[in-house]
Amino acid sequence: MNIQQNTVSENNFEQCIKCTICTVYCPVAAVNPDYPGPKQAGPDGERLRLKQPGFFDSALKYCLNCKRCEVACPSNVRIGDIIQSARIKYGPRKNTSLRNFVLANTDLVGSLATPFAPVVNSVVALKPVRFMMDKVMAIDHRRVFPKYAHGTFTSWYNKHAAAAQAAFPKQVSYFHGCYVNYNNPQLGKDLIRIMNALGYGVRLLDREKCCGVALISNGLYNQARRQAKINLKSIREAVTDRDLDVITTSSTCTFTLRDEYPHLLELQNDDVRDRIELATRYLYRLIRSGQGNLKFKEGAPLRVAYHTPCHMEKMGWANYSIELLRMIPGVELVVLDSQCCGIAGTYGFKKENYRTSQAVGESLFRQIEESGADVVATDCETCKWQIEMSTSKPCEHPLTILASRLA
Amino acid sequence: MNAVYDVIIVGGGATGAGVARDCALRGIKVLLLERSDISTGATGRNHGLLHSGARYAVTDHESAVECIKENRILRKIAAHCVEETDGLFISLPEDGLEYQTVFVEACRKAGIRADVIDPQEAKRLEPAANPSLIGAVRVPDGAVDPFRLTASNILDAKAHGAEVRTYMEVTELIREQDRIVGVKAYDYHARTEETFYAQVVVNAGGIWGHGIAAKAGITVNMLPAKGALLIFGHRVNNLVLNRCRKPADADILVPGDTISLIGTTSSKVPFEEVDNMIVTPAEVDLLLREGEKLSPILAQTRILRAYAGVRPLVASDDDPSGRTVSRGIVLLDHAQRDGMQGFITITGGKLMTYRLMAEWTTDLICKKIGVKEVCRTAEIPLPGSAESKEEVEKKIRNRPITQRRSSISRHGAMAVEIDSENSLKNSLVCECEEVSVGEVEYAMEHLGVNNLIDLRRRTRVGMGTCQGELCACRAAGLMGKKDPVCARKAKADLASFLNERWKGMAPIAWGDTLRESEYTTWVYQGVCGLSDETTKIAVK
Amino acid sequence: MKFDVVIIGGGLAGMVCGIRLAEAGKKCAIVSQGQSAIHFSSGSFDLLGRMPDGTEVSDPIAAMAELGKIAPEHPYAIMGEKFCAEHLQQAPEILRSAGISVSGDCRKNHFRITPMGKMKPTWLTIDGYLTTASSERLPFEKVCIINVEGFLDFYPEFIAEEFRKQGVVCNFGTINLPDLERIRRNPSEMRSVNIARVFDREENLEVLAAKIREMASGCEAVILPAIIGIGRDDAFDVLKSKVNTPLYLLPTLPPSIPGIKAQQALQHRFRSLGGEYFLGDTVLSAEWKDGRVKELFTANHGDIPFRADHFVLATGSFFSKGLVATPDRIVEPVFGADTVFTPDRAEWYTLRFFDRQNYQAFGVRTDRSLRVVKEGVPIENLYCAGAGLAGFHPVQEGCGAGVSLLSALFVADRILKGE
Repeated sequence: MNIQQNTVSENNFEQCIKCTICTVYCPVAAVNPDYPGPKQAGPDGERLRLKQPGFFDSALKYCLNCKRCEVACPSNVRIGDIIQSARIKYGPRKNTSLRNFVLANTDLVGSLATPFAPVVNSVVALKPVRFMMDKVMAIDHRRVFPKYAHGTFTSWYNKHAAAAQAAFPKQVSYFHGCYVNYNNPQLGKDLIRIMNALGYGVRLLDREKCCGVALISNGLYNQARRQAKINLKSIREAVTDRDLDVITTSSTCTFTLRDEYPHLLELQNDDVRDRIELATRYLYRLIRSGQGNLKFKEGAPLRVAYHTPCHMEKMGWANYSIELLRMIPGVELVVLDSQCCGIAGTYGFKKENYRTSQAVGESLFRQIEESGADVVATDCETCKWQIEMSTSKPCEHPLTILASRLA
Repeated sequence: MNAVYDVIIVGGGATGAGVARDCALRGIKVLLLERSDISTGATGRNHGLLHSGARYAVTDHESAVECIKENRILRKIAAHCVEETDGLFISLPEDGLEYQTVFVEACRKAGIRADVIDPQEAKRLEPAANPSLIGAVRVPDGAVDPFRLTASNILDAKAHGAEVRTYMEVTELIREQDRIVGVKAYDYHARTEETFYAQVVVNAGGIWGHGIAAKAGITVNMLPAKGALLIFGHRVNNLVLNRCRKPADADILVPGDTISLIGTTSSKVPFEEVDNMIVTPAEVDLLLREGEKLSPILAQTRILRAYAGVRPLVASDDDPSGRTVSRGIVLLDHAQRDGMQGFITITGGKLMTYRLMAEWTTDLICKKIGVKEVCRTAEIPLPGSAESKEEVEKKIRNRPITQRRSSISRHGAMAVEIDSENSLKNSLVCECEEVSVGEVEYAMEHLGVNNLIDLRRRTRVGMGTCQGELCACRAAGLMGKKDPVCARKAKADLASFLNERWKGMAPIAWGDTLRESEYTTWVYQGVCGLSDETTKIAVK
Repeated sequence: MKFDVVIIGGGLAGMVCGIRLAEAGKKCAIVSQGQSAIHFSSGSFDLLGRMPDGTEVSDPIAAMAELGKIAPEHPYAIMGEKFCAEHLQQAPEILRSAGISVSGDCRKNHFRITPMGKMKPTWLTIDGYLTTASSERLPFEKVCIINVEGFLDFYPEFIAEEFRKQGVVCNFGTINLPDLERIRRNPSEMRSVNIARVFDREENLEVLAAKIREMASGCEAVILPAIIGIGRDDAFDVLKSKVNTPLYLLPTLPPSIPGIKAQQALQHRFRSLGGEYFLGDTVLSAEWKDGRVKELFTANHGDIPFRADHFVLATGSFFSKGLVATPDRIVEPVFGADTVFTPDRAEWYTLRFFDRQNYQAFGVRTDRSLRVVKEGVPIENLYCAGAGLAGFHPVQEGCGAGVSLLSALFVADRILKGE
């Protein structure tokens, strides 16, 4: 008999054997009783929704999509994907709230803001403005807004770097993401400096849109799918036509491009998935395989605490960033217990989530304060904002720290 | 003092419950005795298919006509037990399309709506159907929950004065000359024997009716036919799927509440085995092999359990060889047939026609005891079915959505009665099936629940993916709360519940089911240190 | 990534093996598909509670000698009575070094009390949990059993029913707090862990202590479900210091607080010794060379393999998919190793849930050094430890934890000696 030989059910939720382990590691269920918890929202709920879509519970919106339930699950159930897919499949069709639109459209808002960055930054920092945003848009007034850069990374690159980068014999493609483009072009410049030191030139993709993670979490699925298609097309051009790897500096962008596209947006990326990776992993491989070497200058002792972002935990790649940091002379590394900081992209900006967001991160913040670190390192931009807002420590990307110590 | 009734019904399946209700509605003083819980025999061990009659249209016109009539009645009177899904009879390449023509013609003759639809349309309507289908006919099949249906009949019977005693096994029919005047029955709880008298005793014992008739020295020539079924972990299909061919093994896939089930096989079994039906590996294989043809996804879907029921097929009285069996309703007036007064056997038939069987039986009872009232069971809705789900939902908006909708699908309008005063009552006992503390308490108080297995039949506790791994102990905990005696009973009860669940899992225990079982073993035998208290008690 | 030893599976066996090797200076990695079965721990570690025929064991070491004769394929028999006896001190030391304080004697079983009041012979019990030296006598005559209002995974009435058999008088008490009320708003999440989070707060712990003092009056002891101390380690000690009556914990249904804490403690210990712990990753394939495993490829790490001199298969049994059952065979999915099982599915189990089921003794085929056998040949640098081993009934014989701990040490010992 050929049937039932591959006994693992194709309906992934059926592999759940109700062991309850996911409920232990859900950061939201721990602090917000209005969230049904990963087991109920995920596999249990899915079974009911398959019976009748009317069993969809709007409280699924409280899921952070941190995927920590999936990492913990001994049965390999894609709990987070089940919950997010249910939101796409059964949730409200149109999400027209202005707030969600603004938060989700990171690149639209970014491109509007960057030309007027000094003004925008000081205006959104003003108390009355924050009060207005709270009242009108339900963006929590206590939330510190990320600063916009004056001028985008791409405009700088095209003006000042493109020609020089093209001259390198070895090349890599860079998916910079919204954060580097609108908020922190310096990180992109740091990456270029490091790659150049290893003999690689950095190119940009022909066309890059926001990876769409914020669109997905704010229910703008069609737009997310449209942007994902554009990105996949550009990535395919780089990978297939030019045989270039695509690297990124954001763990969430990487995760979205590799895993959320096929799992949530149902866009197949098998042909290019393995060629999209985090820059730290790319560097690790180059250095460890002896294909490249970085020369560091002697620096003052620096105590760095590494925070593992949720999507990094899910990809399992924290080790690459950690190993890179350990290569830097003078750096003493503390690895913080892996736990969610609570921001989860745009989640923590929303007024209704502020409390949950800060409660989720509470013990991480305490750990950071007690770590004695000079600086916190992390691969995710929104974790950075949350940590800088909620602790006394600065927070940097590992590559920024690494670049600052290059000889 | 010995109680006297107009009628005693032996057997608490759908038919017995239906007769009890019909009698009670006609003002007849009735007692129903059931040796176990209600709906434990063939009633609870079939497809739960709300037949349109289409399946019988070609081979048995009379049954088909009965089915479609009852189908329409049940939609009306038992709305909360019925899911109006419709069904497809699909033709696969190996079946050809010749049968379809005959089939549609026969359906029309029986008054069953049968629309031939385009194969593409069929696949769109039911994505789980085998995509290689070459033809499809849409018929008004549906799903009916036999546990709810029986429980609801019992509730209404009791509301109209019927007495219902479960765990009472009839040990003797009391005979005076050529008349049955009452029964002796053993009470499993009180461990005593009681005697009841009545003008008429109705044998509604299903396959066990053979033995009951024998107590009166009467032979009803029954042929136990075993039918095995498999339950899949979730609702695979939303329309009932049938093969459009001559009825055969494993060719019906029925969606029922949160699950789908495929069945059945058919094999003759000896009477000695009817109390202990075990599904064999060969039956499991057959069900899967055939099931996959109806719906290929079944090959990769988790199976929750396997179970088997025994159909009470009755050999025609005029054929002593027993080869001609009737699948139709068999109502035997033993006064006429055997010269035994005050004794009626109702058997044969099917879940679909339980109400009609009850009506015929009650009509005969009325004739015997001189009651003039007419049958009203086709018009008066059962408890829980008088209001639409939407109406009920409006009244209990405060409950969490999944819990609210689950309880409405189980109890219809009676869901309103479930205590949800505070968070304690809303806490979930069974997380797979969304059964709250309030619902468990409601079932224990109002639905005649004596133990965990009864509770499962009333509420679906333990019927979900984990088969009781999380909820059995919680439910036992609630049942054992009252006093030390309850606690001892509940703990022993928990062990027998786990045995009962495992019996259905063992035939399909591989893959995720075996993982689940191992985990359940760790929790109950390891962490909780539970052992089989039922056998220990037996040994002592 | 290059390590001395890569261990697949992060449960009790994998972790203890990793700790032992890391203590000896080995660079180790643990790759685990998810959190382990330690999450359902009873708070105790069994060594040998019953013989295969069901007789209760009092002295596990003495019983092991007997076991070697009647069950030569039992992991204890394979490792040998001598090895087991010599290493029975090392196991609790490793637990203690990780911060899990346990008590018990390998020459004399004590009894743990289950959430249903049953008494089960065991070897080591985490301090604070109720135990008794004899199954005939409890250490008190009047006790107050306290539960949290609405907590469905703990059964005071069942416990009392058992205790009363020994003449113990049982009082009941329930605790409720506004913060508990808040958790109950969620119908499914009134679980041990969420309750424990409430009592991580000093002010709630204070209220709990006050209520216990009130309810304990006239009782010799107080019993609480294990709903204390998830985020902080000192919660139970703080509570005890505020209550004059002796206070004992009993395990609950999953998730298990003592289990989660043990898991975290072992993980911390392993990491602090330089071990790398990769959670949520699945080993997909292995590269072989000259009859040895050269490297492993995983789902997360794609083209970057895990290389090592030695590998340990500690993936557990069915629950954790270390063994996979199809309708007609038992498969070890990582290496396709040989497995021990009976081909006829009808022989895998009886129809009674509580019977000793044959499937529970199925497992990976190994040689006498616990090296994994594939196609009849032992693989030189691949060992098996823990629940995936064949030849024992972890629950019926009450030996699951013992087999995991001892086989982990046995394998570590082989790897260390092999050089």
